[in-house]
Amino acid sequence: MADEAPASKTQGAPSGDRDIQEAPLAFAMFRIAEYLRSPRPYLMLIGFALVLGFWHLSVEVWRLPRFKEMPGLVQVWKEWTSTDPVYGISLYTATYYDDIAASCRRVATAFLLATSLGVPLGLMMGWSRSFNAFAFPVFELFRPIPVIAWIPLALIMLPGRETPVIFLITMAAFFATTLNTMLGVASIDQTYIRAAQCLGATHWKVFRHIIVPGAMPFIFTGLQIGMGVAWFSLVVGEMVAGSSGLGYRINDSYVLVSYPTMVINMLTLGFVGYVSSALVRVVGNLLIRWHGRELVL
Amino acid sequence: MIDSLSTTLSQLRNRYFWYGVSSLVLMFGAWETGSRSEQWFGFYTPSLGALPPPDLILSTLFHMIGTLEFWQNVWLSCVRVFVGFTAAVVLGVPFGLLLALNRFFHGIFFPPFEVFRPIPPIAWVPASIIFWPTQFLSIGFVTFLGAFFAIVISVIGGVRLIDVRYVQAARSMGSSRLDIFRRIIIPGVLPSIIVGAVIGIGITWQVVIAAELISGGGSAAGSSGGLGSFIWNAYVTGGPEAETHIIIGMFSIGVAGALSSELLRAAGKWVTPWLSST
Repeated sequence: MADEAPASKTQGAPSGDRDIQEAPLAFAMFRIAEYLRSPRPYLMLIGFALVLGFWHLSVEVWRLPRFKEMPGLVQVWKEWTSTDPVYGISLYTATYYDDIAASCRRVATAFLLATSLGVPLGLMMGWSRSFNAFAFPVFELFRPIPVIAWIPLALIMLPGRETPVIFLITMAAFFATTLNTMLGVASIDQTYIRAAQCLGATHWKVFRHIIVPGAMPFIFTGLQIGMGVAWFSLVVGEMVAGSSGLGYRINDSYVLVSYPTMVINMLTLGFVGYVSSALVRVVGNLLIRWHGRELVL
Repeated sequence: MIDSLSTTLSQLRNRYFWYGVSSLVLMFGAWETGSRSEQWFGFYTPSLGALPPPDLILSTLFHMIGTLEFWQNVWLSCVRVFVGFTAAVVLGVPFGLLLALNRFFHGIFFPPFEVFRPIPPIAWVPASIIFWPTQFLSIGFVTFLGAFFAIVISVIGGVRLIDVRYVQAARSMGSSRLDIFRRIIIPGVLPSIIVGAVIGIGITWQVVIAAELISGGGSAAGSSGGLGSFIWNAYVTGGPEAETHIIIGMFSIGVAGALSSELLRAAGKWVTPWLSST
């Protein structure tokens, strides 16, 4: 990867793995200093300033035609950081964190469920042609149906209000995970398998030592996509059938005409979603250190 | 003609084909038994029992295909998908190319882009309804958002995948920047645009249905409001036919989504002939 290669041919900079291990702090400081010397952080600031500035100016200063109905930057910020918010949700209220916790809990449950179902299924479907022939038609029959369309059926078939939402998120993440796992198995170079079989590896050994690690990069890409899709379905599920959580709160605040709260929750949703995807990616990178991640999606 | 007949026949001898068929038969059999179990055996299967049986669904489907209302719904959803998707491609591809090729543009606009990207498009629906004057535009905006992010990310990834040696070779032979762009970047990024577009249209369908579900449809055409609101109305009005309608709606959406993806893939193959020659 381009930014891993030490541009550190400059003087006084550590280079090579041994140095990184011997002086990790120095290396980290070097990387930070390098970052600050490059134009990147300042361009980033300009970018945010442009976007936030545009938001503020169009809504609160110039009051452009469609924009003035929207909540403005200052208003949202004041609301978010006030100890006694006008509409009831801010950094200091308990409901805010309750909502975040409820949403995270749902996504976590459903995501774990989808992973524990999807990864084994995907591995099996990629590895065994017979199993694939059995499972793939049914899988492909249900995959194109937008997960959202399952809501009414889930509400009818499953009891309560929480179970349908979790079912929905699980479905969404499940399809993405399984598909990517299948692709992962398919992407493994056949030579590895043949070599192992030449050396007398049993089916199970091939599976454990080649298929599973080999499919890992794709599995983690699938998990990231699945995480994104999970948040997507969470929002819809909560808007339609929920009584707590970030998605519900967004819809609720829209209905109650408390727009600053709506924006606060939208941005929070984005942030939490980003953190969870980043978490999956970091765990993935830790587990796949031998493989340079080429896939950008 | 004889060729394709013999290939089809040999496909019939292929045992994997029969595995697939048998699994589908099993699934539908289980469904039919489960939903009719109360009728046949006097005992109610927990979740399956709430479903209508497949043969009832099929008969209602045949009846429904003949009605105008059904096709109005389909048309409305398709129009929304088309509008949002086209806007996403028209705006997303140039934006993505700019982000990938120009370091300053990337440095300035990529961080805010990454901040907005994790927000699910549906979360934008209320804000969009406030902002845009008509419902059509508000749903269009949300569908645009969904596909836009996917396409931009694909484009950026696609540019990165282009082998840098092509660019180096061209430069060493004196190509102008415009030439490099026109002759290397654009063809090189086309496959990724196609992939991004296929992903994007899948997302667009999800978003359209979700948006229709949430905002209850409304319409430009009177009583219909698109397939999503069709499902939602069926659910809300309830009644004996409700679940059948819901399932029909679901599968119609699935078929429409699959069709549009396949169309897009075929269009993609047509635009990138060099990839299919093996």
